Parts: sequence; C-alpha cells; structure tokens
Amino acid sequence: MLAVQILIDGFAISALYGLGAVGFTLMFGVSGVLNLAHGATMVVAAVAAWVVAGQLAASPWMAAVAGTAAGVITAFATYFLVVRPIQRSKSVPAAEKEIFVLTGTLLWGIMIQETVAYFYTDNPKSVQPLIAGVMQIGGVRTPINELLIAVICWAVIGLLWLLVHRSKAGKVLLAASINPRALTLLGFELSRVYLSVWAIYGVLAGIAGVLLATFLGASSAQASQLTASAFSIVVLGGLGSVAGSLLAAYVVGYLETLTAYLISPTYRSMPALVLLVIVLYVRPRGLLGRR
Amino acid sequence: MVASRQLWIAFFGLAVLLTLPLWVSAYVLGVLTIAYYFGVFAMSWDLLFGFANEVNFGPTFLIGSGAYAAGLLNAHGVPLWLCLIAGAAAALLGGVVLAVPALRLTGPYFGLSTLVAVLLLQQFIIVFAGSTGGEIGLTMNDILSTEAITNYWYALAFMTVSGAILFALSRSPVGLILQASGQDRFGASALGFNVVKHKLAAFCISAVFSGLAGAMLVFYLGTASVGTVVDVSVGVQVIIAAVLGGRRTIVGAGIGAIFLILAGEALRPLGQLSTFVVSGVALLVILFSVDGLMGLLQRRRDES
Amino acid sequence: MRAPGTAAAPLLEVQGLTKRFGGLVAAKNITFQVRPGEILGLIGPNGSGKSTVMQLIMGLHRPNAGSVHIAGVDVAGWPPHRIARQGVGIVFQHSRPLHRQTVLENIMLGLLPDNLLKVITNRHVHDKARQIAERVGLGGVLNRKPSSLAFADLRRMELAKAIARDPLVVLVDEPFAGLTSGEVAAFSRLIAEFRRDGRAVLLVDHNVKSIAALADRIFAMYLGERIAEGTAEEVTGDPTVRRVYLGGGIDVASRPARTARSTPLLEIQDVSVLYGKAQALDRVAIHVDEGEFVSIVGLNGAGKTTLFNAISGLVPYSGRISWNGSDLRGRSPAAIARGGIVQCPETRELFGDMSVRENLDLAGQHLAAAQAAQQLKWLFDLFPRLRDRERQIARTLSGGEQQMLAIARSLMMRPKLLILDEPTLGLAPLILEQISNALEQLRSNTPITVLLGEQNVTFALPHADRIYVLEHARIVWEGAPSRFAAEAAATYL
Repeated sequence: MLAVQILIDGFAISALYGLGAVGFTLMFGVSGVLNLAHGATMVVAAVAAWVVAGQLAASPWMAAVAGTAAGVITAFATYFLVVRPIQRSKSVPAAEKEIFVLTGTLLWGIMIQETVAYFYTDNPKSVQPLIAGVMQIGGVRTPINELLIAVICWAVIGLLWLLVHRSKAGKVLLAASINPRALTLLGFELSRVYLSVWAIYGVLAGIAGVLLATFLGASSAQASQLTASAFSIVVLGGLGSVAGSLLAAYVVGYLETLTAYLISPTYRSMPALVLLVIVLYVRPRGLLGRR
Repeated sequence: MVASRQLWIAFFGLAVLLTLPLWVSAYVLGVLTIAYYFGVFAMSWDLLFGFANEVNFGPTFLIGSGAYAAGLLNAHGVPLWLCLIAGAAAALLGGVVLAVPALRLTGPYFGLSTLVAVLLLQQFIIVFAGSTGGEIGLTMNDILSTEAITNYWYALAFMTVSGAILFALSRSPVGLILQASGQDRFGASALGFNVVKHKLAAFCISAVFSGLAGAMLVFYLGTASVGTVVDVSVGVQVIIAAVLGGRRTIVGAGIGAIFLILAGEALRPLGQLSTFVVSGVALLVILFSVDGLMGLLQRRRDES
Repeated sequence: MRAPGTAAAPLLEVQGLTKRFGGLVAAKNITFQVRPGEILGLIGPNGSGKSTVMQLIMGLHRPNAGSVHIAGVDVAGWPPHRIARQGVGIVFQHSRPLHRQTVLENIMLGLLPDNLLKVITNRHVHDKARQIAERVGLGGVLNRKPSSLAFADLRRMELAKAIARDPLVVLVDEPFAGLTSGEVAAFSRLIAEFRRDGRAVLLVDHNVKSIAALADRIFAMYLGERIAEGTAEEVTGDPTVRRVYLGGGIDVASRPARTARSTPLLEIQDVSVLYGKAQALDRVAIHVDEGEFVSIVGLNGAGKTTLFNAISGLVPYSGRISWNGSDLRGRSPAAIARGGIVQCPETRELFGDMSVRENLDLAGQHLAAAQAAQQLKWLFDLFPRLRDRERQIARTLSGGEQQMLAIARSLMMRPKLLILDEPTLGLAPLILEQISNALEQLRSNTPITVLLGEQNVTFALPHADRIYVLEHARIVWEGAPSRFAAEAAATYL
C-alpha cells in the first residue's frame, strides 16, 4: 500500500507546487519579472490565515479568504514599491533592469521574511484543515484535506486556463506574453495589463500559501526554500510555459515524495536539484520552454 | 582621473586601518577581520559582475567550495598552508564547472543556475553530514592564530594584496578586454577577442580569490558551517556589499563590505530587525543611488 | 603597407555564397572580389540580402554554400574573432563604444592582442592608439568619454577601431548615415585614404547615390540575388535596378478633386527626433487632410518609421503633432491608437503564436460585438486568403499573408487614419498586387485616411493624392504624383 500512499501524497504535494509555480511563471511570461519574493508572499498569506483563524477565532474558510487577500496585498506592494520604480528608473541602464529587479525582489523578500519573523517568530504556523476527517482510498487512510488541496489547486488552475484561453481579458494577457508592443499598437494600456497580472499572481500565491498552512504548515524561515522550489520547477518546465510548470511540478513532486518515502526525508530535495542541473546543461530552455 | 581618486581613498583608508589595533578593542578587531574577508568576497564578485557582466547569484558556491575543501582536508591532517591552496584549487574547479553552462545561457537562466549551484552544494553538505558536520559544522584542526591582533593583520594583508591584484587587473589591458566582452560581446569579437576565453578567465579569477578567502575565513573562525559560508543569505550579503559600494569599482566593493559588516554588528541590539534594516538600506540604494557609495563620491567630485 | 592595386590578387573574395534561414533564402550564389586599393559598393534595399552577406563575411553566420577568402585563406565558418585577426576590420552601422572608457582606451582595445596574460600596458600601444586617433581627427578628445562626443566623432572612433590592427579588408556599413554634408566630405576623404593604403574596402548601403562618388564599382542585390554589377553610372542606368527602386512605368491614376477642409486631420509641425546623437528627423512638417491618401517616399534610414513612431507616441520628439486640431503630446501610445490613429508597422508585430482569427479578435475588442462581427466579415471579403486560413497560427503564414493579416488587424480597429509602414517589403509581385487592390478598395469605398510610407515608388504612386519625399531626416519634396516623375524621380536613386 506504500505505492498508493506515494501516489496520493505525491499528487497532492505536486498540485500545491504546481499552483505556486504557475503564478511564478505567469508573472515571468507576461511581465518579464522573476519575483524572488514569491516564497515570502506565500508565507505572508499563510501567517495571515493563521492570525485570522487563531486570534480572531474565525472559521478556516474565513481565514483562507483573509490569507489570499494578504497575498494580493503583498503582491501589489511588491509591484508598486519595488518592481515598478526600478522599471521606470532613469538611472538604471536598460540592460541591467532585469538584474536589478531580481536583486530588488530578493531583498524585499528578505525584508518581508524578517518582518513576519519579528512579529510572529519563525515557528511554523498551521491552520486547521478546511475539511477535517479522513477517507479510505485504496486501503490508505488519507486526510480529506489533502485531497481537497489537490482539488482546489486543480480547480484554480482550471479557472485560470479558462480565463486565459476563453475570456477576452485572458487573450489580452496571453498577447502581452507574446508581443507587448503589438498590444500597445492595438490600443491596450500595458500598465493595466501588468496590474491585472500582479493581482492574479497575488491570488495564486495567496491560495498556495494558505493551502500550505493547512497541509504542512509554513514558517518565515521557509520563504527562500519556497522561492527556490518554485523557480527550480519553473526553469525545469520552461520559463514562461504554464503547461511546462505543471508538468515539472509533478516531476519534482513525485521525485521528492519517492525519495522521502523510499530513501530518506533528508534527501528529498536532491533528485530534483540534480535533474535541474542536468536540464540546465543539456536543454536550458526547459522541458516545454520555447524561448 | 577616477583611478587616482580611488587610489588615494584606498591609501588613506589603509593607513587608518593599519593603526587601528593601537586604539581599538579586540572585539572590534574581530568584527573587522571578518569584514576584510568579506571584502575579498565582494571584490571577487565585482570583478565578475563589473567586468564580465555576469551576475553570480550564488557567490557562496565558490566561497563554500573553497572553505569546505580546506576544512575537510584539514580534518584529515593536511597542513594549513596546503589546505589553503587546495581550497583555492577546489573553488577554481567550481568556477569552471559553473562557467561552462553559464557561457551558453543568457539572461535570467545564468543567474538561476548560479543559485541552483549553491542549493546543491548546501544539500550535499547536509546529506553527507557524517563527513562534513552537516548543519552543525566542521571543526578545524588548525587555526590561523589565537591572537586577535595577528588575525587582524593576516586579514588586512590578505584583503590589501587581493584588492591590489584585482584592482590592477581591472585597470590592465586584460581588464579592458574583459569590460569589452561584458558590455558588447559581438563588438569585442569583431575586434578579434575570444570572448568565451576571457569570460572563463574572469570566472576562474573570481573563483580563486573567493575560494581562498573562504578557506582563510574558516581557519580564522575555527569552524566551517553552512550558515557562514554557503547559505544563500550570505551570498546575498556579498552582492549587497558590492552594489552598495559601487559596481565595477573593486575598491567600492571592499568599502561596501566593511560598511555592511560594521552596520550589521552595530545593529545587533535590534536582534531580528538587523537583517531587515540592512536589506532595507540596500533596497533603498538600489532604488535611489544605483552607483552606490563610490557613485556618491564621484557625483560630489563631478559637481565640484 | 602594401602597394595599391595593380593586377594584384583580390584581398576579399566571395564565391557562390548562399545562406538560408529556414525556408527563406537570404543570399543566393553571391560572387564578387575586391582587390587591394579598390572600393566596392554593395547596395540593396532592406531584405535584399546585403546585410546577410556582410554577416557571412564577418563570421556571424555559417554559409550553407560558397566560400569567403581573405587574402587567399578560406574563412567561411570561422568564429568572428578569428576572422577579425585574419585581417578584417568592421565599421558597424550603429556606433558601439564602451561607455565607461575614454576615446583613447576604446581605440587601444583595437590594438590589444587576444592574450590573457597581457597585464601590463605597453607604451607602444598607447602611442599607436594616439596616432590612429589623430589620423581620424580625434586628437583633441582623447581623454573624453563617448557620451560627451558629437555624433560624427563617435563614427570617427568606429573608423579608428576598425583600422587599428591594419586590416587587409575594411567593411563599412552605411558610411554616411546621420552625417552632415561637411562631415560626409571628411569621411569620404578618410575612406579614400584606406584605398591609398592598399586595403580592400567594401561599402554597404541602401542606394548608389550616397556612395557613388567613392566606390570604384557597385554590386547591386535584390531579394538575395545579384541584379547588377559595374560602375555607378552603369548600375544606376541598369533597367532591373531602376525597376526595383522606381518601379516600371510610373502609373498615376487620376484622382477626383477633393475639397480641402480648413483644418488638416493630422498636422505635423517642426518635428525633430534625436536617437542618442543621431538626428533621425529634422524639422519635418507635413499635413494630411481627411480622406486623403498621402505617401511618404524615402529609402531605408530616411526617417519614415521614426516619423510614424513619433505620431503614434512611441518616441519622444520636439515640435507639434496635432490630430483634429488638438495636440497629441502627452497621450499614451495606446490612447493615440484608440483615438483613431492606427499604425501597421514595418515589422508587422503579429501575435505569432495566435491564430489569424485570434489576432483579429484582439484588435476588435474595443468594438461592440455586432460591430466587430461586421468588421470581421468585411475584412475577410477584402482579404479572402485570410478567411481560408482563419485558424492557422500566424507565424506559419507566408510573408504576404502575414502582411495582409497585419493590415487587416489594423483595419479591425476602424481607424480614422491608417499608417502603413513599408507594407511591400520583401513581398513577391503577385502579393503586391493583391495588397494594392485591397488598398484601392479602401480608397474608393471607405472614408479612411491613409499615410503610407514606402521606398517602392511604383507601389506608392498609384494610390496617392500627394507625395512627400523624405531624405536623410528632411522633407525634400512635396507635390502631386503626376509631377513626381518629372521632378523628383531622377534624383531619387
């Protein structure tokens, strides 16, 4: 029954990784920003949910909404305080803008991390599962919450797909990731497009953070690890490719789960890292990347 | 010329630093010792970034390789001076390994691959905790000296010599070619320069100095641990130091490192918030004074 | 120094040079030689393949067939730095100085060996750099940084870098672009000196006119192939060349007379644009009345695209651009597009990964659903080929189909003013006719106003009510198409 256990755990954790990675890659694909404050954003959402659940004695669902909102606020803060000023700065040479944004978000992420740790310590925070109880699946007792996480992640990803491929606004986002200049020529204000991307990103990261809190718990000390996982997955899948990120999330998720169960939990991050190195040497644009 | 102004600052600063043991406590000397090693970290990073235009997001891959190679050999009884050389060699190897994919990657991919290298090294050390001491760290068999003042001299001498070499390199014909390779890759090729060869050289130089400094640092501290020489946050501090001091100036990186370490110590009473404040200041520098401390000095000179 | 060319062996020999990029043949079987002390002009419009040939000589690409010999040595497939060391100096079209180094250091770079161990500056290198700087006229600015130099001095520095290592062959891309007539004379003298040095010089440019005085021979290209070779007079008089640049007979369709409104729809007054130091537009003034079809005729680099980008709000400019009487300054490019001025750029800017239909739908998002559907139907009638390929991914379309899609997409926005930038670039004659017909339909059946930028005069004239000729950033002629043949055509080439 170990196989079923691995299958289920792997599926759930991969779904969670996938949600986080999709937001990260969407941000890069549309606005060209690699947000290294990603992990910190997830942590803020997780801790906000914990605060609301614990100190305001709200239901887990209320806490989840609060956490997601915190994610969106953090995302906007990142955009308006760090990313946009650098992009508009006249003193940063154009060729270095990307690097400065990268470094800026890195620093900003550290600042957020330290602030959370200052107010709430860096102990892991967890939120009660959204739906309590266990289920029997294939002879394995699985928390319902774990299945719910997988369902929610895929539902959100599905909604995102619908938004991007079936709605008018979504087509604009897709177009922005292909050719922003053309979009301007067609009368669309890019500034509004970027705002919407950051909003969507905030929602995705927020939900991922909240779900993480209900599943494994989240602490401010994990912020960099979360960012590292997200971009490893995204690079593996191909920067800018949402399908690639999902595929890579599952590869990484299962690699980690298999390693943790079959070898040892200490080694769980190794295979994915090694895989990433191989990919960077052999096929830098990732599994499904096109650029 | 800017070079002379920088040199004068360096000479004056050096004179002050030389005389410090006369009127400063052992505690302060200790902080400065670490700051000087950090200075070499930052200056090596600046050579790679400023001149070859490659942003190394994981300088601690090179630093850590040097430090742990030296430490592990020392744990097996190899004499100190040999360990230092081995550390530099290990870092050099690391630099080549890092450079090979880097020279084929552009944009964010290279930066990411350097970050991944650090994570891998960290994992490796933790996984093989039996030999490496894992998260707790590795205790060195030898140390440089038990005297604070002696350690201070060693560190100052090392930083001065390294800084002088790196600075001279940056001003030399090779440095000029490196700058060209970084700023305009194709233009440099059209002028007859093998850009790949030169960028590889820049990696190697940066690696040797970083690794050697890392090795010396752990022989000063007496322990090698992930938290001091490998962690991503240490790497971030190196980058902040170089950017704060002023990219592409070498001297600026050294000054930035000293400033950063001193500031970190001064803010220690704030506890948790010290990292926050330092990161905050660095962020403000990035947003408002892109050319760092040296840039501010340059601007005042231009205005006068 | 070598003795200037008598019957010496060629220093640059290109034979059967062919290069394909995917399905596109950029250069086909190109053969020419340049002897010591000879200046060859390589000319052709955009898309002619002259840039590809230059890039093949430099080593930026590997040819699919053919060879490049520098002083007898086959260098095809060598990396650029090796070719440079073999004896090729290049002056790029756009100056590329090292901004953080002085002029002297920039030139010294050209003198350094490709050696990792060169740690000490050689006195000799300093002096030689100084000498070269003085030769090109930069003696007085040796210690300045490039940002403080005038445009012409930046170009001089490029010349200096190129000849630093005493090359056998010198390639110069657009030698006189952006220079005043006085500067052009000075540069001509410098390039003529290269001839006296015994070097082989290859000048690459868009038309014969700018390099006619300097070049010993001209090699003309179009769509990747050689179309003429000979002296400047021979090439200018060659019928194929004339057809490519001017078109066959210049047909002019008679236009019904228009009553001019008091206020032009679009008015451009005293507009100038600077790209860094280069003057891309110099006090340009034009106007377009409602319903008019105005053509701006000019060769590559004349400034057409810059003018259109200024109107669309994409580049900063000085002067005044007014639309329906009100100043466009300060409006975002997207707002200008929504306001009725839609540009179909030279690069087309399609959403390559999206289908034809998706591209069109995006453009129609600002319209009400019913209007958009109606517009779409009308466009498919105008361009039936697009209807057949409705679901096809844009980047898999042929060049002509992509151009049609680009125009259709712009029309989807129901513009009051449509700006078309070089719609015929690199297209086969059959497609040109289809696009020409579509424009004619627009002209006759809709109230649209069109501003067309073209270097292909044959295409531009038949539809135009008025012509402006743009040359080196200035408007040099304005008038009706009927007068163009008589007055301007002769000096155009």
